[in-house]
Amino acid sequence: MQITCTINGKVHRFDCAPESRVLDLVREAGMTSVKAGCGEGECGACSLFVNGRLVNACLLLAPQIQDAEVVTLEGLQEETAAIRESFAEHGAVQCGFCTPGFVLRAYDYLSHGGERSEEAIKAALDGNLCRCTGYRKIVEAIVKVKS
Amino acid sequence: MNYLRATNLGEATALLARYPEALLLCGSTDAALQLRHAAATATLIDIHALEELKGVSVEDGHMRIGALVTLNELLRSDVVRASLPLLAACAETFGSHQIRNLATVGGNIANASPAADLTAALVALEATVTLASQEGERSVPLEAFYCGYKCTKLDHELITAVTVPLQTGEWYYRKAGMRERLNIAKVSIALTQGHGGFRISGASLGPSPVRFRTLEALLDGGVYDDAAIKEALESDTDPSGGHRSTKAYRLRVAFNMIKEALSQPEER
Ligand SMILES: Cc1cc2nc3c(=O)[nH]c(=O)nc-3n(C[C@H](O)[C@H](O)[C@H](O)COP(=O)(O)OP(=O)(O)OC[C@H]3O[C@@H](n4cnc5c(N)ncnc54)[C@H](O)[C@@H]3O)c2cc1C
Ligand code: FES
Ligand code: FES
Repeated sequence: MQITCTINGKVHRFDCAPESRVLDLVREAGMTSVKAGCGEGECGACSLFVNGRLVNACLLLAPQIQDAEVVTLEGLQEETAAIRESFAEHGAVQCGFCTPGFVLRAYDYLSHGGERSEEAIKAALDGNLCRCTGYRKIVEAIVKVKS
Repeated sequence: MNYLRATNLGEATALLARYPEALLLCGSTDAALQLRHAAATATLIDIHALEELKGVSVEDGHMRIGALVTLNELLRSDVVRASLPLLAACAETFGSHQIRNLATVGGNIANASPAADLTAALVALEATVTLASQEGERSVPLEAFYCGYKCTKLDHELITAVTVPLQTGEWYYRKAGMRERLNIAKVSIALTQGHGGFRISGASLGPSPVRFRTLEALLDGGVYDDAAIKEALESDTDPSGGHRSTKAYRLRVAFNMIKEALSQPEER
């Protein structure tokens, strides 16, 4: 089937099976910040925005982005600059595999007026897993993002 | 694979009559995984655009929750927080932020998992499901909607909404799992105590969400002693062992939760 959507503001057309995962489509389209982690909705490495909502691309099927506005980290470079800087400054990155997902979640959380307390941020990160950092530095980085 | 998108309820019921074996698609948090095991010939009917299945409204002491309402919409809804705090508390333990942005109320009910949190909470709240087909609509108490493991009474129908009496009195909701959030419940317990007496239900304690009628009668009769509660719990539940935890463990956790519910309920 044919799927048309915008990814980071540009129109993309896919010729794909209806059961194709959005995760694979966006990666084929060059958005490699979207990582294939668990493939089961548990790790958040594949997080992206669909019509403004942060969701797991590994669970979404191609037809679900028909006519939708998809935004990945590639399309939010300016908006996430302060968050990414804070991650670097606080050493919230080791292998980096989980980082795009965490940065998008932090951006989603902070841009909706999320509270800067450690407890609230920990709860907000419930959909993202990191195997390297132990989370402490990630939480600290988000608390200290310069606004 | 055959993909069809319904744009209104009439279209959806007509498609369902024509393709009774079709997999409905809402948030696809369960369906995406189900699809990997489905036959290559399966038909997908995408119902996520049906306006008739959206939104929350209150009328005559009842709340109507559309089948397409997501868990995050439920969690953020002021009316839900004010009038059905148990449901908001349940939504808070459900999946993760990203999952709650996708997962729908109708999907949780229809998927018929014994571990479905929201469904168990809705059973304690005496919710009714509304089902639609080409022949029209009918309503079924949620508890009677299940017929065993992964078995529902859906008959070429789709769920359009659940209707829940507004909650009064004391309530309790608790979920136990490996992680505090984003996990499948090993056990969860929902309890309300209002004018009608106790209403108690749980997830992962039987083939489908269970209502604890023996225990309710016991507590309504003013009997609170541990041995009697344990015995009632055993007769009300049928937890499978499973690979995630043993039957004895689930029963013990359920017992501890009931004790906590009785000593420290939330109030509304
Ligand atoms: C990582 C992860 C964490 C999760 N955490 C939890 C949790 O904490 N608690 C919990 O209870 N569940 C959890 N789930 C399960 C799942 O998210 C829920 O069951 C969700 O509510 C399903 O809704 P959906 O819209 O995604 O359904 P879909 O996947 O779109 O559909 C699921 C099934 O229901 C049928 N269906 C959907 N809508 C209707 C309708 N209106 N009428 C008739 N049939 C319909 C479909 O045909 C399909 O078989 C989790 C899942 C994942 C992947
Ligand atoms: S790859 Fe999608 S959540 Fe892990
Ligand atoms: S930095 Fe390696 S998984 Fe998070």
